[in-house]
Amino acid sequence: MNGQVLLTSMVGEHVFINAEEFALLADKTLPTDSPTFRRLQGKQIVAATGEQLPLELLAMKTRTRLRRLAEFTGLHMFVATLRCEHSCPYCQVSRQSSDKRRFDMSEETALKALQMTFASPSRNIKIEFQGGEPLLNLPLLEFVVTEAVERNELERRNLSFVIATNLALLDDEVIEFCRANHVYLSTSLDGPADLHNKNRPRPGDDSWERAVAGIRRIREELGTDRVSALMTTTEGSLDRSREIIDCYLEQGLQEIFLRPLSPYGFAVKTKSHAAYDVDGWLAFYEEGLDYVVELNKRGVGMVERYAAIILKKMLTNDDPGYVDLTSPAGIGIGALVYNYDGDVYASDEGRMLAEMNDKTFRLGNLHSDAYADILLSDKLLTPLESSYAGSAPMCTDCAFESYCGADPVFHHATQNDFVGHKAFSVFCRRNMGVFKLLLKRYESDPYARQLFRLWANR
Amino acid sequence: MSVEVRFDANSHTADAIQRAAYRFADRFSIELTQDGLDYRCLLHFATEPDAAAVDDFRTEVLDQVLRERIRAETEGARNLVLSLAFSNTHLVDDGDDPADQHTPR
Amino acid sequence: MIPLRGRAEQTNLARPLGRRVWLLTGIPTLTGMRQGRAYLVDPGQEDVLPEGFALYLTQPGHSLERPDLPWLELPELLGYLRPGDVLGISEDGHHLRVLWRHASRQNSLLLTERCDNYCLMCSQPPKEAEDGWLLDDARELIRLLPPDTEQIGFTGGEPTFYGQQLVELLKLCTTLIPRAGVHVLSNGRRFAVPEFAKAWASIDNPNLMVGIPIYGTEPSLHDYVVQAKGAFAETIRGILNLAELGQAIEIRVVIHQQTAPALIEIAEFIARNLPFVDQVALMGLETTGFARANLDRIWIDPLDYAPALTEATLLLDYAGIRTMIYNHQLCLIEPRIWPFAVKSISDWKNEYHAECQQCSVADQCGGFFSSAKYKVSSNIRAIPAEPSLHVTNVLATSEAGAE
Repeated sequence: MNGQVLLTSMVGEHVFINAEEFALLADKTLPTDSPTFRRLQGKQIVAATGEQLPLELLAMKTRTRLRRLAEFTGLHMFVATLRCEHSCPYCQVSRQSSDKRRFDMSEETALKALQMTFASPSRNIKIEFQGGEPLLNLPLLEFVVTEAVERNELERRNLSFVIATNLALLDDEVIEFCRANHVYLSTSLDGPADLHNKNRPRPGDDSWERAVAGIRRIREELGTDRVSALMTTTEGSLDRSREIIDCYLEQGLQEIFLRPLSPYGFAVKTKSHAAYDVDGWLAFYEEGLDYVVELNKRGVGMVERYAAIILKKMLTNDDPGYVDLTSPAGIGIGALVYNYDGDVYASDEGRMLAEMNDKTFRLGNLHSDAYADILLSDKLLTPLESSYAGSAPMCTDCAFESYCGADPVFHHATQNDFVGHKAFSVFCRRNMGVFKLLLKRYESDPYARQLFRLWANR
Repeated sequence: MSVEVRFDANSHTADAIQRAAYRFADRFSIELTQDGLDYRCLLHFATEPDAAAVDDFRTEVLDQVLRERIRAETEGARNLVLSLAFSNTHLVDDGDDPADQHTPR
Repeated sequence: MIPLRGRAEQTNLARPLGRRVWLLTGIPTLTGMRQGRAYLVDPGQEDVLPEGFALYLTQPGHSLERPDLPWLELPELLGYLRPGDVLGISEDGHHLRVLWRHASRQNSLLLTERCDNYCLMCSQPPKEAEDGWLLDDARELIRLLPPDTEQIGFTGGEPTFYGQQLVELLKLCTTLIPRAGVHVLSNGRRFAVPEFAKAWASIDNPNLMVGIPIYGTEPSLHDYVVQAKGAFAETIRGILNLAELGQAIEIRVVIHQQTAPALIEIAEFIARNLPFVDQVALMGLETTGFARANLDRIWIDPLDYAPALTEATLLLDYAGIRTMIYNHQLCLIEPRIWPFAVKSISDWKNEYHAECQQCSVADQCGGFFSSAKYKVSSNIRAIPAEPSLHVTNVLATSEAGAE
């Protein structure tokens, strides 16, 4: 990049040096008393002969970075129902049915899912209600929360609850339930009304209006930290980053997550791993990030969540706990999905694939399989092991390895292979684009550097 | 119609070539023989030989060779990290189902 | 600058004094408690002297008409002494050293002048002398302090040279003055020996903290600044050993010409490798001792590194590490980081510049070391009053300026 070479250590600390010095370094002829050699030493990228301390520091930091792994599954998604009153074109899972018995999770299934949830040794347990539209099965949500809280008297974990909902059905009962049980809400807000409603048709064509009203209501009645919003990025979003961010600002939201395009629907339909417009998304992301930084300069404390997650990996030894960008992959060992019918999936995307008749990531069923059978099945262990980035060509040589992750579900969907050939991988290309963008900005812009440090330590 | 592709036996294994060939089963079938210092692959196409498929095949062979080698080299570190992930569960040392050990009162 | 040494104006001692360390008292304490206490005579009260003290002190310009009593007259210089202060007095009564001032929040005891580093900017240049008596005096002093003493500091030289004796001394603090925040300055090298780190941990005082300087992110810069090969590796290993034992650690960085270019990298190094430390002190230079001899290699105008100081301070703060800036005048650091500036120069060294007469924040600023007369920034400027100016200061609770 601009005649500079980026070097990273095995724990993700980075240094830029110029190309001539890099050539000397590669040749092992860089003078050991040069300022550059000292800078590299300070980050344990090089060491003088006989030095032991750099290895000890690297070992210490490696242990810190990996220690979250042993917590095991922290995110447990309960698919309360497949029913939904929206009919979003890209959604793979919802059903337009009022037959509750067919598509709702039963209490019996929920109890089994809770058993599996608490079987995880993780000290932090997050139960996330998914769907369809979970609020269509509010009684089950109430049941799960009650049972979980009671069980937690014994378990003493840090228990938290989130409902992933479109908010169209938010009413007094839901508000009270969330207030009484300290439940968080996570919703979708794709941007301005025309963009959002095009993605999310419902009877009355008022998805955006309801989402925005719901957000306002939750902020005012439960607290500003009790609702968060995610966007689903579609082709239509790509040249409207500023508008989308402004829309978030208008709703009083202090955080935006400029999410990548999802390949699943598209890829499964076309079976093409040349897939979608990565460069278009990267341009969208850069524009959005620029705008967020500019807003901060003007005194508006907005955070871009995707950058914050990656920056935490770049600038600290902490793990952001984001299951979609981690190696080993977050499937099973970071997150589990319990479907309405008791089927257990390694990830939410794995569940989506199953709805499109690809059951590769279905690990078993709560009613017929024991915990050990599910977590130790080859259906989990094979993709987990084979996708490990440290053992994958290109990844193992990549300077960004410690920032990146393994995504066997993505690569299975787009290349029919858990590992994926990274030279053809959209996942790889996209992530590399973001890493380069963030690091360049960090090096060249003192204001952004300080802001990035703030985000990294949240 | 057939196309011959050769791979140096010093730097390729039969296993890698076979894994690569498997992925192309829908585009051609192969015969693999060792011929002196080379592996000789004869790719049989149902109709016309497909140059793109041949290129893709070479790419895939390289991919498989590297995967095999890197997997072996990094086995120790990989196993260590994965066992760390499972270290606090009771799944690996004993076969008991921990789900049965937690009964709510 | 408050004088700490003086000569008695006159003495009346029949015999050499039996001890070196004396607590000044103004009330006739019970006879059993007079051990080690010198009675400070109020002028005009010479007729109503309590009997039985081993030493009496008179104010400058006053005598005692009591040839039968052991007494000495304080010099003008030390006329500020009050009950509760502690004096070190030579056997013949002539040489006086102030060891403890009750009114000060920053008392610090020198334990030795020996050291195995030779920092370019050392304000207490090492001497190779048998000075174990300093440790003995410290022990005696602790025994005289009131049990509710709130703070005590130990410096040198390198206090850890005493090994187990230092550990015992600190255990004495834990038992006799349990509430006191105990702050020990050390180069940290001895803690690289696991047994010594464990001995330190056995002191088991939650108010004990060790302040250890780091001057680089790799051996060559740090070892150069402290003029000792191998110092960096030992110091870092010492810090890691202490951390493993849950001990409280402060990292100090003295900012000067050699360390200023690496300041941000040092902050990064601390945040990434030593994130467990309890606090970091970023310190301005005191131009005394070796610093004077090495001025050409040491001096830098703080204004020249002001942006780096801001970046380093905020970096540490965002990483969740308590950060304090010592010995920097407010006009030489960016207002953004004024909240981190501590009014820290020991009050016995404190002075002000002529510019400071007009300055609106002089009372919140730490002022200068008296050694600043020797060399000071040409950028000292009074700061005009502005409604938006706001300085939140953290008052120093531990010894900050190098003694």
